[in-house]
Amino acid sequence: MNGVLEVERITKRFFGLTVLDDVSFGVKPGELLSIIGPNGSGKTTLFNVISGFLRAERGRVRFHDTDITTWPPHAIARRGLVRTFQDVRLFAGLSALDNLRLAVQQHQEEDLLGRFVWSPKVRRMEREATHRATALLEEFGLFEQRHMRAGLLSYGQRKLLEFAMAIMPEPEVVLLDEPAAAVNPTMINTLTEHIVAYNSAGHTVVLIEHNMGVVMDISHRVLVLDSGRLIAQGPPEQVRENPLVLEAYFGR
Amino acid sequence: MSLGRAPVLLQLGLLVLLVLVPQVIQLSYLLDVLIVTVMYVGLALSYDLIVGHVGSLSLAQPAFYGIGAYAVALLSTRVGWPTVACLAAAAIIAGLLALPVGIPSFRLSQYSFAIGTLGFATVAQLVAQNWIDLTDGPMCVTGVPKASIGGLSFATLPSFYYFVLAVVIGIFLFTRRLVGSRIGRSFAAVHENELLASAVGVSPLKYKLLAFSLSAALAGVIGGMYAYYVNVVCPTELSLFITLNLLVILFIGGAGSPRGVVLGAIAGTSLPELLRLASSWRLVLFGVALLVIINFFPDGLEGGLRRIERRLARRSTSA
Repeated sequence: MNGVLEVERITKRFFGLTVLDDVSFGVKPGELLSIIGPNGSGKTTLFNVISGFLRAERGRVRFHDTDITTWPPHAIARRGLVRTFQDVRLFAGLSALDNLRLAVQQHQEEDLLGRFVWSPKVRRMEREATHRATALLEEFGLFEQRHMRAGLLSYGQRKLLEFAMAIMPEPEVVLLDEPAAAVNPTMINTLTEHIVAYNSAGHTVVLIEHNMGVVMDISHRVLVLDSGRLIAQGPPEQVRENPLVLEAYFGR
Repeated sequence: MSLGRAPVLLQLGLLVLLVLVPQVIQLSYLLDVLIVTVMYVGLALSYDLIVGHVGSLSLAQPAFYGIGAYAVALLSTRVGWPTVACLAAAAIIAGLLALPVGIPSFRLSQYSFAIGTLGFATVAQLVAQNWIDLTDGPMCVTGVPKASIGGLSFATLPSFYYFVLAVVIGIFLFTRRLVGSRIGRSFAAVHENELLASAVGVSPLKYKLLAFSLSAALAGVIGGMYAYYVNVVCPTELSLFITLNLLVILFIGGAGSPRGVVLGAIAGTSLPELLRLASSWRLVLFGVALLVIINFFPDGLEGGLRRIERRLARRSTSA
């Protein structure tokens, strides 16, 4: 019970179909944990349950020692557990800069009046947000595109911006759902470097990824889901050799 | 450089023009058209908060407008409250009533919100019609006094025009401020993608309720102004047709932009009045005008203005 994130005996069913079956695991602070498994094994559903977008039938999710099982998604995000989506999700009609500036709600108080009258405190927070957003845009090579509508960016750029949005508020834990899906090899390297850099700065990263090269390269630990059950976990080199895993992927 | 200042000068010029109008136009009919137009500008701005900025189709604006009108009528005639207190009460009552309508309607889908608000608008009209003890039903609430603040009375047409102009400019500045603030950015986020908004920590329900309630409060104020203008409030003020007018206004002006909404309200309200000159062809001409606008400015007048501005900007940089 010393993990930053504890998933305890989660069971989720859709129309009688068990998508997650009694899944339990913990995530240690500063860890880079990958979750792999064949298509339909319940990885994304697991993220949806952790981040509050789906309610599980059974089981708990604890963030530090707070039970967040029934919290709404926005409250979980504010608390410091941020997720990305498998299909790129951005505010397509807003500029790249505004996309980032929206992603800092955690650090903004729920002070609507202050936000409206543009109180000194809100002005300061806004300056800080713009500052950090600009720094991130530079770091991700998107500075030139900062005033461009996010929907007009290239696919790779959108993937980068999406990751930048996730780490904009410096969340303690970030859940990345296939951040490198369908991007070219150069962009995969760029993204991987950013993910590793964020993790090395002391933040916890949980990653769903199909690209085994990436997973084996950067993960500290790997969990394997198959048909909603956790069938193996351990260091990458060990999981790779696990017969159960090979069977799940390639069949008997 | 001069381009940057042009809009400010333009706005000041427009303001001077608006202030001078009653000095030039003495015809009370034209002043009446002007007053109604300005009130529609305010109502359309309030409507745009929920429809244009948050993207939820509300059909309840006439209800909040009517509630504001009845609040002013009843409080001024039966309790004898002064103008400012009555208008504030109109805003607060309408704004608070939006919450019990919004909370259940927002929780389901986009459609349920539209239907929920339509139901509320219908019920509000029935209540005004049939709760005789409160509203006098079809006999209407009569004898609403003229508006006055301190020693200032707004009994004449020009003075009422100034009163309504000041209130609507206030509403314009308020909504522009709101939209430009961090709150406005959260509105845009909820409008764009609710799921993503909640993933970055913006509660969709909270911001939609905020927009809906503010929108209702501002509509309540305009309704109150209307009560002071005509001095009689009838159940027909809650007519659902107002929603249709407002939708046309947002459509031809450009939803989501204060400037476009103002232009749309002016076009959508004064155009039919001006066309009265050709009485039997009036509606036909209005329909044709709408078609022309939609054809040439598919994003509304605001979209057309932006295109012209871009062209000017390009010319000034290339020169």
